[in-house]
Amino acid sequence: MIRMRAVAISLKIPDNEAFTALAALRRLGVPVAKLERAVIWVFEDNTEAGFLERISRNEALFNPNKHVLRELAEGAPRAGETWIEELGQHDDLHTYLGAKPMPGISSGKRRIAWRLFGEDGGPVESATLADAITKLLCNPAIERALTA
Amino acid sequence: MSARVAVVIFPGTNSEEETLRLAQDVGIKAELVHWSRAATLPAYDAYILPGGFAYEDRIRAGAIPAHDPIMDSVIDGAQRGKLILGICNGAQILLEAGLVPGTGAVRVPTAAFTRNGPIPKFICERVNVRLSIDPGRCAITAALTKDALVPAWAAHGEGRLAASPQHLQELQIGNHIAFVYVNGAPNGSALDAAALTNIAGNVLAIMPHPERDGWGYNHLRENGSNHVLEASGGAVLFKSFAKALLA
Amino acid sequence: MPNFSIQTLTDAQLKEAARRAGLALRVDELRRIAHRLDRDPTLVEVHAFDAQWSEHCSYKSSRHLLKALPITGPTVMQGPAEDAGILHLGEFNGDRYGVVIAHESHNHPSQVVPFEGAATGVGGIVRDVLCMGAQLIAIADPLRFGRVEDPSSHQRYVGIGVVDGISAYGNAIGVPNIAGDVYFDEQFDENCLVNVIAIGLVKEPEIIHSAAPPNSAGWDIVLVGKATDTSGFGGAAFSSVTLDKEDKDANKGAVQVPDPFLKNVIMRATYRVFEYLRERKITAGFKDLGAGGIMGCSAELCSSGGFGAIIDLDDVNTALPNMPAPVIAIGETQERLCWVLPPDATAAVLQIYNEEFSLPQIAKGACAAVIGVVQKDLRYVLRCREEIVMDVPIEFLTGSIRDDPAFQPRPAAARPDPASSYMTCDAPVVDLLARVLAHRDVCSRKPMYKQYDTAVRGTTVIGRGESDAGVIAPIPGSTLGVALAVAGNPRYGQLDPRLSGEHAVCEAVRKVAAVGARPLGLTDCLNFGNPQKSDQYAELVAAIDGLATAARELAIPFVSGNVSLYNESKGGKAIPASPIVACVGALEDVGQAQSGEFRVGSCSLFRIGLPTNAFGGSVLAGVLGVDGGPPPAVDYDAELATLAALRQALATGSVRAVRAIGNGGLLATLAQMCFPSLDSEPVGLELQDLGLESFFSESGGFAVQVEDARALADVVNHFSFVRQIGRTTSEPGLTIEGLDKVDLHRLNEAWSMPLAEVFG
Repeated sequence: MIRMRAVAISLKIPDNEAFTALAALRRLGVPVAKLERAVIWVFEDNTEAGFLERISRNEALFNPNKHVLRELAEGAPRAGETWIEELGQHDDLHTYLGAKPMPGISSGKRRIAWRLFGEDGGPVESATLADAITKLLCNPAIERALTA
Repeated sequence: MSARVAVVIFPGTNSEEETLRLAQDVGIKAELVHWSRAATLPAYDAYILPGGFAYEDRIRAGAIPAHDPIMDSVIDGAQRGKLILGICNGAQILLEAGLVPGTGAVRVPTAAFTRNGPIPKFICERVNVRLSIDPGRCAITAALTKDALVPAWAAHGEGRLAASPQHLQELQIGNHIAFVYVNGAPNGSALDAAALTNIAGNVLAIMPHPERDGWGYNHLRENGSNHVLEASGGAVLFKSFAKALLA
Repeated sequence: MPNFSIQTLTDAQLKEAARRAGLALRVDELRRIAHRLDRDPTLVEVHAFDAQWSEHCSYKSSRHLLKALPITGPTVMQGPAEDAGILHLGEFNGDRYGVVIAHESHNHPSQVVPFEGAATGVGGIVRDVLCMGAQLIAIADPLRFGRVEDPSSHQRYVGIGVVDGISAYGNAIGVPNIAGDVYFDEQFDENCLVNVIAIGLVKEPEIIHSAAPPNSAGWDIVLVGKATDTSGFGGAAFSSVTLDKEDKDANKGAVQVPDPFLKNVIMRATYRVFEYLRERKITAGFKDLGAGGIMGCSAELCSSGGFGAIIDLDDVNTALPNMPAPVIAIGETQERLCWVLPPDATAAVLQIYNEEFSLPQIAKGACAAVIGVVQKDLRYVLRCREEIVMDVPIEFLTGSIRDDPAFQPRPAAARPDPASSYMTCDAPVVDLLARVLAHRDVCSRKPMYKQYDTAVRGTTVIGRGESDAGVIAPIPGSTLGVALAVAGNPRYGQLDPRLSGEHAVCEAVRKVAAVGARPLGLTDCLNFGNPQKSDQYAELVAAIDGLATAARELAIPFVSGNVSLYNESKGGKAIPASPIVACVGALEDVGQAQSGEFRVGSCSLFRIGLPTNAFGGSVLAGVLGVDGGPPPAVDYDAELATLAALRQALATGSVRAVRAIGNGGLLATLAQMCFPSLDSEPVGLELQDLGLESFFSESGGFAVQVEDARALADVVNHFSFVRQIGRTTSEPGLTIEGLDKVDLHRLNEAWSMPLAEVFG
């Protein structure tokens, strides 16, 4: 059985991308108190055992700055969180897997996970999240072009 | 009194100096306006948004600067008919701000310059772009000849025009595609588009940099050793912009 | 603050304690410290000495050898005393302009984390040039990779990551990448080389020095940039530091985190500070933070001015609360610079960084802040949380130390026996040419360099790949041009380190001459193995001697340089000797810059220089899989005459294109001059059959396209080694006398494809 697995890479070093994005969201009137950004790898994985260990052993690959890797249950976004596809210069996973083959993992996709927190410290409501996505985190023109 | 043009600097802009220099060399009364002086922007008659990586292309190229208060003045100016030229990152910002093609609401983009394809990497190469609208369709190109060729450097990681099929059709019908790459787009851009204008034709968003091929020394191949310091080549677009400011 | 015990331990115990603490200091060095301080050092102190006396900071194995390099001459504005050297470019509007040049390596980090390693390499070299008061005008990057052909190799991952890193950082800061070279060799599989060169422009009176100015006791020490974090220190080196559990994860990384966006803003803010200081005629000291972090930088700034310093680590803006003192003091967080400023200028400078350029809004915790004071007392003192954590004589910390490993002189390579090393081969010339063009050291580099911005700033005259050297016109309104080229053939390094040094200088000079520039000066990065091993140390000694000989003979000085040692495989095998050289040249009129590409058809072709039959280290020998013998020797009289002949030919005004005869030899060079024309108006070649030796020898000289052959009559009469070898035509294709015409498109494809498959 093939199942989707995901690994999150928490960025512990001050992440300036979230720093300026938070300022932009606030200017747009989206009620966000704190913003976290992480890189998420979503894998098709058909071998259960040792998945995270294998990823960890390749941490230089997925996580050059050596921050904490954490396995995400069933690879789904949490409350207040959205995963956005990123066609970055970094994401040629095919090359990486070629360089560092990992049994059982044949492909993976890189996503940027944004997690928004409200004033009460908890994840924001889904309406606030949707607002942030349409106003800033996604460009509707690109989304429509990709889905066309 | 001649028109005053602001070359707007965001944090991360990197092409302000040569853009200013070429504007001045073709007789435009231009000055740099730093983000710390954004409050002075409304006093200018036209704006140039130069290339670079404003806010590091965070989220995606143009996304954060489009929502920066600096852009409030630029958007307001565009609506009043001021001339606005965005080059490379400046073009990406104009699309993110919805000023170009301007077929949707402000800050709700209907087209985008997105990650190059099929290889999603930065490219830097000499290109020629051809004017693909009637020169008068866009005020900034009005002094160019029909089908004019402009030499430039494509230098971007996110320069591929992307829009829904319906919006792409709108761009064609509305004559928004101002320039196309001559020998095919190096970045996978839809319709080979290199530049877009808005409905009113007072805003131009061009991906390749004409200012990097703007002096004789940038293209010795054509000019031999003469006139190396004179504005030529890509300067033709800036000259047309200068004429439009007088109109 | 606990002390590091030395005095009570035996040598064996001390050795073990140093190993456990991750110190590179040897037992004798540790004892020297305790003896001079007359006590055990604190933890901060022992780590400070460890950083300051490391090879990276002290050049302890190489400093004395480098004295052999010639460093003076009429073009030298400033020799290799500081982070960068300065060469005299020329005058414009009454100002004397200098080109600042610095050369660094980021080999080891790039092998582990290629993207970050290469990016921080660019960042570091840019700061070295910036801190001389200069505006950045270009960068260049010599690279040496292992076998990247295999998609499942770490080397391919390294290659792609390094190119991405250079692209991401260099493009964002807006400095054009105008030169570089790449070699591939399996001996770099476990240790790639990533060198970076940056050049800047400065008016002579506006040069800023990396020293506290005279009479600066009591002046402010100001730290600018990224919040000091826990990135950028050797994990092992800090294993002795007790960390809170909370910080442990964040403390794993030895990788410096680059921030080109912040650098872009800091660079521009610093230009604004230069302007402010000039307007008020203020002399300040300025230096970038590199090895040894805040401690290394502030100690060297003050020590070179003849002062001491007190630094308050509590005033350093840190990314995390309660960071251990050694980490704040010595960690190598990127994107930081340090000023020594008169107190009445401090507020205005802080205002420029913190308000006008809003560093705190650009990156979390980034700012400019006063962290200490210059002292008359010649001690270096660090305070942290009300405690003195370091107090040492400053000259003891920063003074030079020297290692002189014993070594056996490397036996001189046997001189080539012309008869035995003569290459013979039955394969048709054209088949050999196709194989040479597809060779990994000859084939097109475009798939790599097209990811680098070569045209930002609008000053580019000749960009990456358009000729042997890049050329820019950096001064608005002036025709003065700057040329930049790099060289260093590892195939020679493998065979003969001394000759590889000589060839690196000659080749870099030739490349600059090929675009019509006058060579001004050189820099080097010495990439070698382990100096503790006598055979590897001997290679370093020989190569420096080679560099010195060539520079002296050609009368071109070295003005800055860098040494990168311990480049070896896990099994202890050193990389090929890799003295990598960069050469800066000047053009009075950039309009006279020579094309490296054929743009017109009907012209004559000349070769300047005599080929030799030494094929050691040649591409042809590689293609045929034979031992070519030793590399070509260098004949300096011939080299100087060749350069003189080229200058005379250029002076006729009839020359249309030039290249130095490079890797693969004359025929491959001519083919590459044709290729760019194939897309528009193709230029063809008609050549005499010059024979294998002339077609494939890599012993120097130039290929020159001349519009009117008669214009060169005097040059031909004067120099016996200048001869016409054929002509270019408007008929596409390559014809060699007596052979069938060959399709240049086919050869172009052979040349273009190999790296496109790897780098996309």
